[in-house]
Amino acid sequence: MISRSEQKTLLNRTPRFEDMLCSLYAAPRMPGGVVKETKKVVAIARKFNVQVIRARTLELDKKMHEEPDYLAWDFVREANRWGFYSMWYPKQIGCKGYSFFSMPPFIEEIASACLGMANLIMVHYLGVTVLASSMNVRLIRRLFMDTIEGEKTDSPCIFSTAITEPGAGTDVEETELVDKGNITCYAQKVPGGYRVNGTKVFISNGHLATWHMLIAYSDLKKPSENMVVLAVKNGTKGFSFGKMEKKLGQKCCPASELIFNDCFIPDEYVCADMRMDMPKTGLSKKDLAASLLDDTLAASRCGVGAFGAGGARGAFETALKFAAKTKVKGRLLINHEWAQCILAEMYKNMLAARLAYMESNYANGVFGPMAVFQYKPVYYFSKYMPVRFFNLFENFFRKPVATKLLRRARLLAFKQENNQITAGLGSFCKFSATDLAVKNCHLALEMMGQAGLRHDKNAEKILRDSKLLQIYEGTNQLNRLNLFKCLIARDFPQTVVFDE
Amino acid sequence: MSANSNKELKLLAGAALEFAKKELAPNRENNDRFPFGPFWNPVLEKAFELDFFHTTLPEEFSGIGQGMSSLCTVLENISQEDASLAGIIFTNTQAQEIMRIAKSDGLLKKAGNAKTVKEFLIAFPAFNNPSEVEHVASASKSGDGYTVSGGIEYVVLGGMAAQAVIPARLDGQDGYSFFFVDLSANGINRSDPVFSLGFHACPAVDMTFNNVKAALIGEEGRGQEYFEKMADRMSVAAAAISLGIMKGSLKEALDYCTKRFQGGREIIKWSEMKMILGNMAVMTKNAELILSAACGATDAGKNGWEQCCRAAAIHIQEMACDLTTDGIQVLGGVGYMKDFGQEKRFRDAKQAQSLLGMASLKKVQYLESIAG
Repeated sequence: MISRSEQKTLLNRTPRFEDMLCSLYAAPRMPGGVVKETKKVVAIARKFNVQVIRARTLELDKKMHEEPDYLAWDFVREANRWGFYSMWYPKQIGCKGYSFFSMPPFIEEIASACLGMANLIMVHYLGVTVLASSMNVRLIRRLFMDTIEGEKTDSPCIFSTAITEPGAGTDVEETELVDKGNITCYAQKVPGGYRVNGTKVFISNGHLATWHMLIAYSDLKKPSENMVVLAVKNGTKGFSFGKMEKKLGQKCCPASELIFNDCFIPDEYVCADMRMDMPKTGLSKKDLAASLLDDTLAASRCGVGAFGAGGARGAFETALKFAAKTKVKGRLLINHEWAQCILAEMYKNMLAARLAYMESNYANGVFGPMAVFQYKPVYYFSKYMPVRFFNLFENFFRKPVATKLLRRARLLAFKQENNQITAGLGSFCKFSATDLAVKNCHLALEMMGQAGLRHDKNAEKILRDSKLLQIYEGTNQLNRLNLFKCLIARDFPQTVVFDE
Repeated sequence: MSANSNKELKLLAGAALEFAKKELAPNRENNDRFPFGPFWNPVLEKAFELDFFHTTLPEEFSGIGQGMSSLCTVLENISQEDASLAGIIFTNTQAQEIMRIAKSDGLLKKAGNAKTVKEFLIAFPAFNNPSEVEHVASASKSGDGYTVSGGIEYVVLGGMAAQAVIPARLDGQDGYSFFFVDLSANGINRSDPVFSLGFHACPAVDMTFNNVKAALIGEEGRGQEYFEKMADRMSVAAAAISLGIMKGSLKEALDYCTKRFQGGREIIKWSEMKMILGNMAVMTKNAELILSAACGATDAGKNGWEQCCRAAAIHIQEMACDLTTDGIQVLGGVGYMKDFGQEKRFRDAKQAQSLLGMASLKKVQYLESIAG
């Protein structure tokens, strides 16, 4: 009926099979152990919600209203005690080594109870993703060990990621725009390292982090080709904290200003330098920077999608609880047909948000930079091989050659079409799930009347918290354009994006 | 409103906007810190001196005796900068309207004659329709008068006003009635200010009454009728608050877009941004036209003016919530921060949507009012 080659041709037509049914394509390729791990981390998150978050979320949010400069160390220490800041670190360095695939469902669980607290935990992994995307094995190991030490000593060591600048928000999220932007964070190459001058703003967890993954530029005239990723530790001379923003929501997670004033960062803390130490693969420096940025954003936007699902769920659960016990016009609200339809709509929004981030999660699992770890032989090898086996290679991983080999392997495996799926679906789930979260919050408040307005009923907090999701990791408008660029424009060569 | 069709309204609009810019805008962030910062008593006193609280109060009760167009003009212009003050005026006017509709002239006169704003203000549960969720106290006859007992949630201005208008059900009766309570009486407990989404400087408290003397407003058991009549008129005033918030949000968005550069040019030059701003501008213009028509119909007593007001309010309040979401989005990260007014407008728009009761149920109720 249909030949093999004909089938291949037909399935490569738009929409490609992998784009259209990514999860169906991906699921059989993933190891079954991932399901077991995901169940476990979801259960851990639920326990944490019951024992920690639900008891503290409103109290902490109110405290932040009262004292906007308060730092939520108590909560961060608690999350640190639960081992959350190293939960997805590799087993080979003594951590749980859960699959990255299990992270978004974990995020949804925590976020359904409190988006701000979820941010206090998960923004750390944005830093981890930036660091991991650099493939700098020596530095990854060095910084991961700091987190592990922080867990042992009850002194949390978490990471922040510093990208946004006062004059450049959208511009620094997109390599097509960055050369036209008002970029000021300059990393000047000097003997033995970089000297950094500039300011970063809106840095989530900035004041709470020990290490800051700083995206700076060694040539401000052509930042797209001169991106430098640096790891900056608190206490480094020339680095200081500026103000903490007063935000609408997610108040417990500080949005910090980071100031670099002749701040010298030695070579050993350079995560990646597009100009200096990338293997020759045929990719331009701009493409290299774009691939690093896209890898990071595909993962982080999937995470924000999971935040969105959590927000949509939190709003739904709050409204449902209210409807189940509140009488309106003499009968329980939950028994009014119009209310049942609104609750069904909210359930749909929550489910759609979850499906959106899971589709992106599947895409990252089979096409993203960490896909190799989901490849069944690699997955089971890393799970069941004794740690002492990996210790044999410890010295090798400390050497620059390990970083070079890994980078080469990653860049050789780089395929534009894979990048388009992961980046495109990352943007898709980011703006879809977060819009649905805000939509659900509106529906919850409209159904709850004056109860929805009260801080002690939680619904208004979820609305305030959710609104931020439409802004960070690229505004939802930028993400719509990125989806267009990645998944639509490719079939129309005459299309230009970000260059109106 | 664009219905500045006569000189008087134009003057009123100018005065309210000037007051908002001079007295409200500069301290918006500080005033919004309540209950974690000081309450803005001096601002209230100035607004009182300017008769913003007296707009629709009949002249025989020391008011100005203007129609809804005037009240809406004041509320809209004030709300461009800070809707909390509009919330206070709105709440007070709701209570006045209940008394006016019930023809409780004696009580209205007493309230109208007050010389200070504190003596003048009347607390009222502004966000609840008592026939929806029953936040209603119980009332008993006591000699020639009445006493009320029980709790009522979210009484706006309950923490500062000298008196309150509250709903209570008389023993053995189905419907509820409204009562006038002197809040200096014994037996009244107030919670701390209820921390809320928006209108921070228009605070509410939960109140409990324990055999507190109260005066009946109008007739027994007619509370729902008074409330609905009041809501017919006040819907349009609630819509005016939302319109003011929309105008303020649009203006700040436009200002920002001409100053902020991304991709090497002002963001207003990006066509997607133009689309968002265009949508905001269209919504604002439509809201202005709808409100103007509803006010006109109300003041002229045109047939069906009640439905005009209700429908206008539902639509404008919904648009205000959509618009203020975009108002933050246009500013990006800074829109989410308190340094600008957008995040407050976003909260206030959502708060305003629940004035007079549940937003969702208002549509059901509207349908019932036209379909019977």
